[in-house]
Amino acid sequence: MKRFATILLALAGLTLAGPRAHSTIDDALSFALEAAEPYVKEGFTVREDYWGGDLGVKQTKAIVHQLFKGNEYWFWMGSDMKDCKISVHIYDSEGNLAEVEAKSLRVNGGIAFGTRIIPKKTGSYYLIVEVEKSPKERTTWSLAYGFR
Amino acid sequence: MMKALALALAAFSSVAFAEPPAHIDLSQLPHQSKMIDEVVVPVPSEIFGVLDKLGKPRWEDVLRPVNDAKASGDQAQIALQLGTVIAEGFIAVEAENVEAVKNIGKKVLTLSEAINVRKAVLKRSKSITDFAGKKEWTAVRRELDGALSDVKAAMIELNSEQMSQLVSLGGWLRGTEALTSVVSSNFSKDGAELLHQPVMLDYFEKQLAGMRPRTKGNPVVTKVQKGLLDIRPLIGLTDGTEISEKTVKEIGAIVHELIQSIGARAR
Repeated sequence: MKRFATILLALAGLTLAGPRAHSTIDDALSFALEAAEPYVKEGFTVREDYWGGDLGVKQTKAIVHQLFKGNEYWFWMGSDMKDCKISVHIYDSEGNLAEVEAKSLRVNGGIAFGTRIIPKKTGSYYLIVEVEKSPKERTTWSLAYGFR
Repeated sequence: MMKALALALAAFSSVAFAEPPAHIDLSQLPHQSKMIDEVVVPVPSEIFGVLDKLGKPRWEDVLRPVNDAKASGDQAQIALQLGTVIAEGFIAVEAENVEAVKNIGKKVLTLSEAINVRKAVLKRSKSITDFAGKKEWTAVRRELDGALSDVKAAMIELNSEQMSQLVSLGGWLRGTEALTSVVSSNFSKDGAELLHQPVMLDYFEKQLAGMRPRTKGNPVVTKVQKGLLDIRPLIGLTDGTEISEKTVKEIGAIVHELIQSIGARAR
């Protein structure tokens, strides 16, 4: 029921910033949002906008994103492909790894990965998302973020 | 271009992922114009929260009354207005002004009706009013963010994606104006640094450049396009560049004028 409610929320209220493949990106998003739940309890505000798409194995995608010094951010990447391995890492505008924490997160029925950053500067950051391993040729993913 | 992208991403993938590379060559990444198509525009509260940590801004002084007049202007101007009004909602939440939030909820509905997306925000508008009445400010912020998303999604469904971009732009401009106002009244380097948003300028400039001639020819849109070019050299070209108090005021004056134009009644 909780999952159903989360999916409904995603379907009703969220806008994809990237290319769409509706059903599975929404599924992927539901896992990203499930991974976010404990952090919401810690005071993180989850944005309604998100990114999504699909990638082949070992393929990566770079997303440029504005971050503000003074905030703390979590990025949650999800996929409904249970047996795959996904990740998101964050680099500053000089190409240096800028995250303070990155780990797989437990969700029911799918997979999720979370990365935390406390930006040292306000400016552009690069989110590099990757499908490292997957039983399928293409793996659908979604990336949400929250701040506090 | 594709070859460079493939090389860069292959280099990234060649490292065992448990240990991401400590450094990547950004020049090998795809051209920024490709990536900025997927920019997520920050909501004002993302920035206002930092200002709250830096001091105690007088949000009541930043908040502007929202009139209850009917929508005025063409679709492009109304889309920009809608963005500014939603941003005003975030300011009203910071000011914890129940009446202002309720008025803004109603105005969102009026403007949405004028651009045929009333149905999409009806529920959000009601929630904004209800949560404001209960002073549940976190929930109001969430609903304002949701209203922004719903409006944009509805516009995309109506094949008005360009109008949805104008809603985002209007919101960003009003948020930026509020930011300059707060930072000017109690200057700090950290506060001023929040104006360093090159990604957002890249994104909006690109969106405006790609708009239909008719939309681009709208005098308000033309003015906004020029204003963004004027802001560009002021926001710091590289990360870590210090933005002076004088520059904050200059940016503030530019965005203030743009907001005035957006809000002006059409003749």
